[in-house]
Amino acid sequence: MTRIFGRYGFAIGILVVLLIANLVMNPARFAPGNWPTLLGLAAPLIGAALASTPVILAGRGGIDISVGPVMGLVSAVVIKVLYLDAGLASPFILWPAALLIGAAIGAFNGAMATVVRVQPIVATLGTYLILGGLTLTILPAPIGPAPDWLKAMAGAWSFLPLGLIAALWWALCRTPFHDQLMAVGSDDRAAYTAGVPVSLTRFLAYVLTGLLAGAAGMMLTALIGSADPKVGANYTLIAIAAVALGGVSLAGGRGGLLGAAIGAVDIFLLQSLLTAFNVSTYVLQVAYGTILVVAVVLIALQDRSTKRSHA
Amino acid sequence: MTLPLDSIKARVLGAFAVALVLHGIGTALIPGYSAPFAIRAMLVIASLLAVASIGQTLVVILGGIDLSIPFVIGFANVVAAQLYGQGWHFGLVCAVVFGLAALIGAFNGALSRGLNLHPLIVTLGVGMVVQGLVLIWTKGFPSGSAPKAVSGFVSIGGSFGPLPVPALIPTLLVLTVLIVLVLERTPYGRRLYALGSNPGAAPYALINPLRIWTVTFAASAVFAAMAGVLLLGFTGSAYGDVGQPYLFQTIAAVVVGGTALVGGRGSFIGTIAGVLVLTEINTLLIGLNFSPASVQAAFGAIILLLVSIYGRERHFRTTV
Amino acid sequence: MADLSLTVRDLSLRSNAAPLSTRISGGEIVGLAGLDGHGQDVFLRSLAGLERNSGAVDLQGNRIATFRDAERNAVVYVPRDRRSTGIFPGISILDNFAIATPGRDRRGPLISAKARRARYETWKERLQIKAPSPEAPITALSGGNQQKVLLARALARDPKVLLLNDPTRGVDVATRLVLYDLFRDLAAEGMALVILSSEIEEILVLCNRVLVFRDHALAAEMAGEAMGTEAVIAAMFGRAA
Repeated sequence: MTRIFGRYGFAIGILVVLLIANLVMNPARFAPGNWPTLLGLAAPLIGAALASTPVILAGRGGIDISVGPVMGLVSAVVIKVLYLDAGLASPFILWPAALLIGAAIGAFNGAMATVVRVQPIVATLGTYLILGGLTLTILPAPIGPAPDWLKAMAGAWSFLPLGLIAALWWALCRTPFHDQLMAVGSDDRAAYTAGVPVSLTRFLAYVLTGLLAGAAGMMLTALIGSADPKVGANYTLIAIAAVALGGVSLAGGRGGLLGAAIGAVDIFLLQSLLTAFNVSTYVLQVAYGTILVVAVVLIALQDRSTKRSHA
Repeated sequence: MTLPLDSIKARVLGAFAVALVLHGIGTALIPGYSAPFAIRAMLVIASLLAVASIGQTLVVILGGIDLSIPFVIGFANVVAAQLYGQGWHFGLVCAVVFGLAALIGAFNGALSRGLNLHPLIVTLGVGMVVQGLVLIWTKGFPSGSAPKAVSGFVSIGGSFGPLPVPALIPTLLVLTVLIVLVLERTPYGRRLYALGSNPGAAPYALINPLRIWTVTFAASAVFAAMAGVLLLGFTGSAYGDVGQPYLFQTIAAVVVGGTALVGGRGSFIGTIAGVLVLTEINTLLIGLNFSPASVQAAFGAIILLLVSIYGRERHFRTTV
Repeated sequence: MADLSLTVRDLSLRSNAAPLSTRISGGEIVGLAGLDGHGQDVFLRSLAGLERNSGAVDLQGNRIATFRDAERNAVVYVPRDRRSTGIFPGISILDNFAIATPGRDRRGPLISAKARRARYETWKERLQIKAPSPEAPITALSGGNQQKVLLARALARDPKVLLLNDPTRGVDVATRLVLYDLFRDLAAEGMALVILSSEIEEILVLCNRVLVFRDHALAAEMAGEAMGTEAVIAAMFGRAA
């Protein structure tokens, strides 16, 4: 427990401070009855941060900057193509469709990174541009509405998607995949020598990222209650920022989904606090950037001191 | 095995060939594609991207990445216009803008190397802060404009002595020669490649990683600021988000030009080739009446295609 | 150069280890032996200013406490792991050779390709480097030739003291003989050489004196006739010979 707290310490510290500040500043908004709505508001960012994590954990420059555009595309396809044009409204069709789109794009990114062996940032940059263009072609302007059951997932039922992801990750952590992922991320040569299927593990990390990005796309659609071709892409960089804030090492092999989620909640709470103060979005941006840099600096300093005390 | 040095040259030549082929296709399909004005426009647009990509090239050779470039471009664009609009002498404006940019970049490099942080996060965070501060300062409504001289310097209709191109083009050529000389023929340049190729061996070979990271990121920010000031002359008025398209375009130009993101390899000539390819693709697709959305998608597809052909990494197994 | 001397006084290789003192003179080849991780590595790195331990290392009265001090005093360290701390895989043989001394080829602000080439050729001859072309990537060379290029890089700095960390590791026999001759020549010219080797035979063949380490302390020091395989092994394992 101390170990987990150590790695996430900074993110949890901010979390507590921001939560108290929010409760004091804005008790009505943070009343327990509002929690589902708040979670729904935070869900797309949390989802994007969760999605960004597996490939980063897999190491060797692993990163997926197409997470945001995947969210945009999922939203566009689900609402415009499937719901409004084809009239499919059942969650048991739309959710699998969203996850499938995400996983397929993840598989493509994974193949580019592990089979064709293009650097991940370049491969996913290509996907980023393709998906952005594709989304705008399918859906040139925002359109709505989303089905009611989906909108409810940003309200009363907001815990459901995130809860399922948590359960999935909890289960994955109990399979060899998690250990292999961390082994590959921290030292792929050693993992390879130890018989870990390195390329397969990395590939699956991309698929998992795509799958989670598909889910994040649904959460985004639920929140805005419609499909907007332009909002998705904005999530990419802020999600990576949340991941770093949550103590996940961009070099791979250290951290986890919990940290990423905490990092995302931190950013959300900061956002809502500064909105409560009625500060301009400009100040918000400065605050984001500062907290991001300060967080990675503190985590690095902490890593150093733990290393020294072990030596 | 690493690639023989010749294959890097082959990539650069390949990128130039792709640009030429694209230009041929454009000329065949679109009337007026090779008209003097069209070519001048392409050259100016390409040159602006090339200036913005200088820093990215240096940083990538070092094994880093600089996401603060678009923010620094926006910063320089707005601050230069604002200060000039307040009646400052333009020389002083440039000194202040470039000086501040150098500080921003130096901070990026020193922090990333000094604490062994991923430059992607550091430059992103610092970039956000810089942009936010500029927005606060101008309250989101930048004013001011560029002096006539800068506008003329980048004007598509401009001329330079007897040459029918604005002074930007010959200046970029001179700059290119200087960059190549610095990279190929100075101790700094050789150390840059060495450090990028194996950071672990650098200190034993009397290379100071912290100093080189600081200097290189500072240079990157100064070139980004230069691009920001030039863009001010090009568009005529200040706009804080003017740099945003350059975030991924500089990376794409570097990669299409054959510079691997793993560090230690690459050249600025390659980046120039990459810049030409990107500009040709853009002009060609817009000329063929594709919507901006399809242009963007095609852009992504072509980057993936080119990189799949010649931008492949070694299999990690070969590094065991 | 005859009075060149590197003095080590009360150097502790880790906290609570018995301090050691010794003196290494120009013209001498000193071998360091011991089981892996018994302090000989720390000792060698201390001479290069790469470790912070209590005690003092001086060259002609100049304190060597940091790597910068070593650099200023022409104490040159050649690390052990060629791949991770030696070569620069992306760049050419010529670059790999000249990277630590680029200032010497400068004519005005720029490096003269000719001067650099000439400097390389001298060392290539002396070390018998077998390389296709100086512009080829360093990774095109065999391990032995890579090691020669790294030695050339170090020697180009005109060392007074050369510290070699297992210089013949992964090097073929023919190359070893070339290197042994080179080391003897360098010593004859007045350089002090300290060589850490994992092979006792090599130390016996090459060195005038051997320091044997055990538990981060000096277990034995032998020279001349007293140096023998049995004695060194006994000292390594902490037995009486």
